[in-house]
Amino acid sequence: MDTWKEFEANELTHSGAHHLVAIEQVGAAYGGWARVSDIARHLNITRGSVSITLRALKKRGWVDTNDHHLVKLTGDGLKAVRAIGAKRRLLRTFLADVLSVPKSQAEIDSCKVEHLISHDTGRQLTLFLRFLSSGAPETKDLAERFREFRRECPKTRTCEVCHGLCLMDELKHAI
Amino acid sequence: MRAKHTDLVDDLNRLMAEEVEASLRYFQIRFRLRGKNRLSAERFFQDALKETMEHADAIANEIRALGHIPRLQVNLALDGTPMNPSDALAEALEVEQQALAAYKDFLPQVMGHPKLEEFIRRQIAVETEHVQEILQVVQSAAPLKLVTKNAL
Repeated sequence: MDTWKEFEANELTHSGAHHLVAIEQVGAAYGGWARVSDIARHLNITRGSVSITLRALKKRGWVDTNDHHLVKLTGDGLKAVRAIGAKRRLLRTFLADVLSVPKSQAEIDSCKVEHLISHDTGRQLTLFLRFLSSGAPETKDLAERFREFRRECPKTRTCEVCHGLCLMDELKHAI
Repeated sequence: MRAKHTDLVDDLNRLMAEEVEASLRYFQIRFRLRGKNRLSAERFFQDALKETMEHADAIANEIRALGHIPRLQVNLALDGTPMNPSDALAEALEVEQQALAAYKDFLPQVMGHPKLEEFIRRQIAVETEHVQEILQVVQSAAPLKLVTKNAL
């Protein structure tokens, strides 16, 4: 499995995603145009760093610059920002409302992976959330039953999820 | 109007971070250089890293003169992919142009602080010269013949 390499080669890096979102937020009051200095302050990083990242984003066709060194999202950049926002909302909702992860943690975790999940996964997650919130008695029942489910792991440390390696035990070592 | 003392120090800390970060970039870029003109580019970045660190040091001293301890926040992760000298110089140009712009933006804040104003004006002059040097090399198709001020 070389999935980790795909993670490394992901065309939109975590930093890149934050820059795109920052350009949209900073530029909102100025017709979409943002100054490098304002982006740097918004992200609390140096101008040099912003400038280097913008070069890469420009090469990918996600941002545009003008003669006054202002930066704006292109159509593709705007689409990328919308997709990032949608995935973040989806993940945050799933983690907080379905899995009952505390809201602050759900926010942090969704931010970490928002730009990494595929459109297919995002679509399926949307479907699943729609299914859960459809109001059908069986889905209400499913959500409630999950919230009440606090069963301890069996003493054998194996079950139909773990297949011999207790994932709960492994998670205790999580960094 | 004189800027608030704390605002001045915050801005000086940011300027110092620009210089330290540039220095770290140049430090690492030297080892990524590949291809034609690698050795002259390496010398250029060696001098540039020394110079940017000297700038950071000078700013830190200005912060101390204002009665504060410099605060440094740098978020930097640099990958290990090889770079040709022209790409490396283009990156250096971006960094230097941003540093110059930062000094220029800061100048109005130090009006009424004669010592600081003189320092920032001097930095603007030095950075302008530095940007011009790199720009000339980046824009010309000629082989690299980089000489920094320090080497002159």
